[in-house]
Amino acid sequence: MAMDEINKAGVTIPPELQGQIAITTLDKIYNWSRSNSLWPMMFGLACCAIEMIITAASRYDFSRFGMEVMRPSPRQADIMIVSGTVTKKMVPQIVRLYNQMSEPRYVLAMGACASGGGPFKEGYNVVSGIDKFIPVDIYIPGCPPTPQALLHGLIIMQKKIERQKLSDADWYKKDVDNEIPVPILGPDLIDPRKYALIKEQTHKPAFQVVEEVQNGDE
Amino acid sequence: MSGSGKGILKGLGITLKHFIETYTVDRKEGKNRYFTEEGILSRRTPDTKGVFTVQYPEEKAPLPEAFRYIPFLVYDVGEDGNRDIRCTSCGICAKVCPPQCIWITRRTDEETGKPMKEPSQFMIDVDICMNCGLCAEYCPFEAIRMDHDYEIANVDRMKHHIFDLEKLLKPASYYKAIRPVQVEREEAEKREKEAKKEAARAAAAAAKAKKDAENNS
Repeated sequence: MAMDEINKAGVTIPPELQGQIAITTLDKIYNWSRSNSLWPMMFGLACCAIEMIITAASRYDFSRFGMEVMRPSPRQADIMIVSGTVTKKMVPQIVRLYNQMSEPRYVLAMGACASGGGPFKEGYNVVSGIDKFIPVDIYIPGCPPTPQALLHGLIIMQKKIERQKLSDADWYKKDVDNEIPVPILGPDLIDPRKYALIKEQTHKPAFQVVEEVQNGDE
Repeated sequence: MSGSGKGILKGLGITLKHFIETYTVDRKEGKNRYFTEEGILSRRTPDTKGVFTVQYPEEKAPLPEAFRYIPFLVYDVGEDGNRDIRCTSCGICAKVCPPQCIWITRRTDEETGKPMKEPSQFMIDVDICMNCGLCAEYCPFEAIRMDHDYEIANVDRMKHHIFDLEKLLKPASYYKAIRPVQVEREEAEKREKEAKKEAARAAAAAAKAKKDAENNS
């Protein structure tokens, strides 16, 4: 059956040779093998992670699609399932993990929070969607998406991979650097390099700050 | 006696029972357990034995009626076949929505410029929606209801996941098909209300007639 799927190179095979040879394009066989061995990265962020765990467990079991090994290391993972609320404190780590994943790499935004911020879209400590920082391939709505919805998203992901072409794949080109700078967000994210300055500011006695402000006004 | 480990053994025994039953039932029933209508139905009952995997794209786990995913708009099919949208664009759903993912624009009459009781635009950002169901809970016209369709993952958020009026509208027959008990309850409530109104009207008419009779005498 798998043969029928990949054996569509647009060349007619003579009847006497049918079932004995297979003609395919490199793209098809390459994408077929790639899309059926997607290894997700094992990290959960919030409640969506629980649904992700159920999807990996025996009742829904995404190893049926070749995703059985959740890798704890980004170097060995193909797909990053951003499962849950992305806080501003977590974004630098996620971008760093994304940078550490080897090409070809894919990102799946699972649930409302990862896709668009969800109920926290205007929150002071939550980013409104991970797609503002790293390229996202598939968005799954839901809060949280049920295991079947996640499986549907992963199947869409496989279909997307099957449509890719080796000739225009980014990761085989020269001089293409997909490294994303690790973000340091706004004043409400604490920048470790400025601990001294923050400490100096916050440890001042209140009256001194008031005096400084008043002096500044003059 | 506490501390003898009896409880652990009992718990592990249940796990072992499930483990063994998974094989024995599978051997007994063979492939009929999967992919056949009867097999899926038999596995829905609470006294199913053994563990099994839901073979997702081919078969789907049954959804409870109260399952909710993304909201949709209900429309009735009129006598001449056109769509009669129940929504009056009152905006209550947009106000109660906790993550604020609903946008409504009221339609205005092109000739008179007066606002009409229907939406010209109705948009839901399904990637913000948190499936809480408050919009359906508060809607006084039974116009917005929660859908069962969870297969809406897609590749582009802006292109595919901002649902507009065309994508949100679904017929009342679909609503009745996915939530028969809820529709029945709503209809019963409506009938009761009507009956109460009718009774009140009859009582008022009777009182008036009595008064008139007293005045005449």
